[in-house]
Amino acid sequence: MLIFAASDKGGTGRSVTSANLAYHRALAGDDVCYLDFDFGSPTASAVFDVADARLALEGGGLHSYLGGQVVEPERIDVWAVTEHQVLRDPPPGCGRLVLMPGDVGGGEFATTGDHVRLCADLLMKLSYEFDLVFVDLSAGRSYAVDMVLEATARPEMSQVTARWLVFHRWTRQHVAAAASLVLGERGIVAAGVDRGHDEEELRGAIRFVRAAVPDPESPLWSQVSPTQSAWLRKADADLKQLASAHGIGYSQVLGSVPLEPVLQWREQLITDEDVLDSQIANMETWQALSRLAARLTDDKHWEQA
Amino acid sequence: MTRRPGQPARPALVCGEVRTCLLASFQALDGRAAAGLLRLRADEHVRISERPNLYALSPETLTGVDCRLPTADGSKVRAVGTVAARAALTEGRLLQATAWFSAPAAGPDTRRPWGHYLVRPGVVEPFGRLPEQATAQGVLRGPGRGELDLGAVAEALLARLLRHPLLDRKVPFKSRRTHLRWVARRVPEGERAELTRFTLAEDGLRTVELRLPEDTPAAAAAGLCEDLALHDWLLTTVVHMLESGRFAAADGPVAVQALRPAVDHLLHLWMPHARVERSLVHLWEALEREPGFTRQWQNLVQRIRDQLAVQAIRLPHQALSTN
Repeated sequence: MLIFAASDKGGTGRSVTSANLAYHRALAGDDVCYLDFDFGSPTASAVFDVADARLALEGGGLHSYLGGQVVEPERIDVWAVTEHQVLRDPPPGCGRLVLMPGDVGGGEFATTGDHVRLCADLLMKLSYEFDLVFVDLSAGRSYAVDMVLEATARPEMSQVTARWLVFHRWTRQHVAAAASLVLGERGIVAAGVDRGHDEEELRGAIRFVRAAVPDPESPLWSQVSPTQSAWLRKADADLKQLASAHGIGYSQVLGSVPLEPVLQWREQLITDEDVLDSQIANMETWQALSRLAARLTDDKHWEQA
Repeated sequence: MTRRPGQPARPALVCGEVRTCLLASFQALDGRAAAGLLRLRADEHVRISERPNLYALSPETLTGVDCRLPTADGSKVRAVGTVAARAALTEGRLLQATAWFSAPAAGPDTRRPWGHYLVRPGVVEPFGRLPEQATAQGVLRGPGRGELDLGAVAEALLARLLRHPLLDRKVPFKSRRTHLRWVARRVPEGERAELTRFTLAEDGLRTVELRLPEDTPAAAAAGLCEDLALHDWLLTTVVHMLESGRFAAADGPVAVQALRPAVDHLLHLWMPHARVERSLVHLWEALEREPGFTRQWQNLVQRIRDQLAVQAIRLPHQALSTN
C-alpha cells in the first residue's frame, strides 16, 4: 500500500508525523519504506537521524533517479545506520525500515513524461517489496503532488492501493488551506480527475490528520486561568464547526496528534524510551501515533461516508 | 602488440549481474504464457523446458556500450563492445534477468567500426591492457558514475518484462529483489572450474568469484550464477518470512496465513543445478558442503511443516475443549 503525505503549508508536522507512522508500522512487523519527495527541502535524514554526508558525496538519491542519472535511488537501512541510540537496537520481530532520501542540494523540478514513468516504475516496484510505502510530498500543489497523481493514474498502477494523508495544524487558516488543497478549484481532487482518476474513488482515499492539536483537557493547560480555559474550549468548538463547514469534518479525519513539546522543538522520532524512561514525550502522543498507524490499513476508517 | 588484427586476444575475464524477483502475477504462468512474456526478439525462439521443472529462457539481447570499466583502484579504462542480457522464468514464478560481458586481456588502442563489435556479441574490448584484478574487484564493488553498469542493463530488462500486458501485476506476497554480481577469471583450457568465493553483503547483494576454463562459454557461467541466485533468493525470502514480526508474534490462523505463501509458491522450487552445464555442477557441490545450501533449505522446510503440524494439532484440541 502507498501512503502519500501532503500538506498545504510547511510546518504542519507532515514529515515528522509520517516518519513516526512509518516507524510505528516497522515496529509492528511491517516492512516499510519511506520516500522523501519533499524535493525543495529534503528533511527525512534528519528525522531518522541518518547522517546525510555520504549522500552528498554519492548524489544517488531520488533526484538523481528521477532525473535518469542512476538506475536505482540510494536506499538507507535506518536500523543499521541511524545515529539514534534507541533506533540502533530495534526489537526482535520488527520489519525493515528503509529510507530513500532526496539528493542534498537537489531542488524542485518540472514533471515530464520521463519523471512520471520512472516514478511509477519505482512506486510499483516498492509496492511489490514493502507492506507500506510512505511518500512525503512537498507542501502545497507541488510538482511532487502532480507527479504522483499522474503516476498513480497510469493503468499499470491500478492494482496498487494508494491512500492520502493531508496534514494540517489546528488553526482557522490551516483548516481552510487544507480544505482548499484537497477540494479547491486547483486542488488534489481536481488535479487527479484531470489526470484520469475517478473523482469519488480519489476523494474516498483522502483523509485528514490534525497535527499539533492542543487538547483543552490536557495537563499542559491545567494551570491556565478559567477565562483562558473557557476560550480554549470555545476556539476548539469553533474550529470543529469550521472544519465540517469546509467539508473536512469528523468523518474525513483519520486522527489527530496532540501538541507535543518534543516535536515542536525538534523533528524526531518519538520512541518508547522517550515516553517511558526519560519521559520527555507524552504518553498521549505515542498512543495517538500508534492509533493513527493502525488506522492506515484499517478499511473501517476508509469507508465512504 | 605483435598479434595480427582480427586474431582474438586471450579471454581474461567474464563479469555479470543477476537480478532475481518474484513475478508480479497472482497465478504462476504456464509454458505458453512464459514464452509470450520472454519473447524479447522476433527472430529467435524462447526456449522452454518442462523437466524437471518448468523453465523458460529468453533469447539474448545486446546493448552497445562505450564507457569506462569499473575499477577498484581508480584506473581509467575505456572499453567498447556489447553487453549480453537474457531473462529466465522458473516455474512461472521467479523471474531473473542477467547481463554479462567477456573481456579479452588486451584490446586495440583505437575504436573500431561497429561491425567489429557486432560480430563479437557479449564481448567488451578494453583500450590497451585490461587491469584484470582491479576490474574484477570494481565490478563486484559496483560501478561509479559513468562506469559500465551491468545492474542497469539487467534492471532495464526486468522493468521491461514487468510492464508486459500479460501480467496482472498482483503479487501473492511481498518479497525483495536480490542482486548477484559475479566475475570469472579465465584459466587455461583443461584446468578445473572453481568457485573461490560466495559472499552475502547488505541490501540483498551477493557476490561470486569463479575461475573458469577458457573453453567454457560465458553463457554457461551465467547459467550457473542464475541457478545460484535463484536458490539464494529462495533461502533469503523464506528466512525473512520466518523472521518477520508477523510470523514470530503470531499464533493460530495468523501464523498459518503467514506461512501459506511459502507452501503455495516456493517450497517446490528448490532444485539445485537442474540446468547447470555438467562441467560446472561440481561448483554447486562445494556450496553444498560449505555453507550447505540444501541443508539450510531442508531445515527451513521442516520448520514450516512442523509449524503447520503444531497449528493443526491445536484445532481438534480446541474443538474438544469448547464442547
